[in-house]
Amino acid sequence: MIGILGWISFIIFFLLFTFLGFYGAKWRRGDLSKLHEWALAGRRLGAFLAWFLIGADVYTAYTFVAVPSGMFASGALYFYAVPYVATTFMVAMITMPRLWQWSREKGYVTAADMVEDRFKSKLLAGLVAITGIVAELPYIALQIVGMQAVLGVMLLGITSNVKLVSDIALTVSFIILAAFTFTSGLRGATLGAVLKDILIFISVISLIIIIPLKFGGFSSAFTEAQSFTSALSAKHITWLSTGITYLKPLPALEAGYTTLWIGSTFALFLYPHSINGSLSASGKKQLAISDAFLPIYGIGLALLALLGLLAYSDKAAMSLLSKFPLSSMGIYSIPALAVSSLPDWFAGVVLLGIFVGGLVPAAIMAIAQANLLTRNIIKPFKPEIKPETETRISKWASVIFKFIALGFVFIVPATYAIQLQLLGGIIILQTLPPVFLGLVTNKLNKYALMAGLISGMASGIYLVEVANKFGPLSTSLYHLGGYLIWIGILALAINLAVAIIFSLPKIIKK
Amino acid sequence: MQENAKKEGVFYKIFATILLIIPWIAYLWITTYDKAQPTLFGITFFYWYQTAWLVISSILYAIAAYLIYRGEKQ
Repeated sequence: MIGILGWISFIIFFLLFTFLGFYGAKWRRGDLSKLHEWALAGRRLGAFLAWFLIGADVYTAYTFVAVPSGMFASGALYFYAVPYVATTFMVAMITMPRLWQWSREKGYVTAADMVEDRFKSKLLAGLVAITGIVAELPYIALQIVGMQAVLGVMLLGITSNVKLVSDIALTVSFIILAAFTFTSGLRGATLGAVLKDILIFISVISLIIIIPLKFGGFSSAFTEAQSFTSALSAKHITWLSTGITYLKPLPALEAGYTTLWIGSTFALFLYPHSINGSLSASGKKQLAISDAFLPIYGIGLALLALLGLLAYSDKAAMSLLSKFPLSSMGIYSIPALAVSSLPDWFAGVVLLGIFVGGLVPAAIMAIAQANLLTRNIIKPFKPEIKPETETRISKWASVIFKFIALGFVFIVPATYAIQLQLLGGIIILQTLPPVFLGLVTNKLNKYALMAGLISGMASGIYLVEVANKFGPLSTSLYHLGGYLIWIGILALAINLAVAIIFSLPKIIKK
Repeated sequence: MQENAKKEGVFYKIFATILLIIPWIAYLWITTYDKAQPTLFGITFFYWYQTAWLVISSILYAIAAYLIYRGEKQ
């Protein structure tokens, strides 16, 4: 249980963070060039700072909450996040510099801009933009779940009514997120970002060093996890079904693991917010170098994932967790560990780190959505739109998108929050043919690409529903010929097949 | 002279591509690491081996980035 000191330090740092956010929005009007100079002082510092800042973006609610929760409830399968982080930056290294170059030469701001120019189709660009907006929704929902997890653990000290706790936590998280994006936007977040990154690194480092030391290793955690599972299986509840110490050596599951990381690898740098981040780099070479070093950050991710299992060896954390139902228990594992193993005031700081770790990425995603909406969907219809109108539309749109994202929170049992990110992945992967293949060739037919995107999206969503028997989402793997395959890969295969087959006449003619 | 430089450039690009692909092979070959032993600090092989490859991947990528962007300022 977190005491009064924890609340005080959480609130003080939160106020400091919001103050910097608002102050940043005003300060920016004065002189942005100063910030630029500071951030890019000297080339060496440029690459290093870019690495530091982009690296902090790796730590979102996905890392702090969703992956540990998946490990806590399902086991080794969700360690797929590690190979995913290792290879996704390789994909970034080979795709983003080219996109960066073209953006500089031709003034692209979004991937949809590139698609429009490349395939001479506003309609295809609009489809890519809509897909990007929709794909961000469940990802934002995941960030809301992460913020909820932090507040949930904190509120548990005040009332023990768990239903009430999680409702309040969700409502407050949602209001803070909506207010934050509405008032400050990306410009305001610039100053807050530095504090956010410092808070996040304090959280990551203290969690991955202090907690394992306190419990003296993992062997006991593995044993405790096993007995927890056995106790549940006596009640006919499946728990940690994908293996505790390693992936159950079923070829079916190994296929699931492999397709999960390969698919996620290609998905990340199709997301509008990742592309925005890459395009703001100071140079092609700096971009490639910082991408090259980013897998290092995955070490923190790997250790946080393992903390999801280490929670089992911490009696205090487990007694806190046992207050929540199994369907949402997992998301509280890291916040509970922070509360049980750190001094109160410091736990407050770490919890705030996890909290802004959800808040800031969600705001960045919302801004990427608004960008796409005004630039690639509204502008083609109303080219003469005024800048003030544009700002007003994007502000209100981001509030509406927030509400839709909130809807996604309810279709996934919180413990399986990682399914939200995987759902976003299935959707965004469908833009791979026009965006990534578009970087290599313009020989594909625009209508074939549209047909591919739509059939990929439709089949992906349908298969997710079938795999979950049209109920709450707790898996995104589909049984196919004795193998479990991530649906994102299946849908992408359908998409690619359609796009390429219907492009054949155009390819052959040339 | 120029032809040599061109050949050299191609050679570097091929070499960089190989470096970029190595981590993929390591992770795709799942049967080599889907097991518990040997453990490290009580952590099973499955977990620590994949974590170690994060570091190796970064080193390989960094060399590749250096080879690809050799001589370029931006």
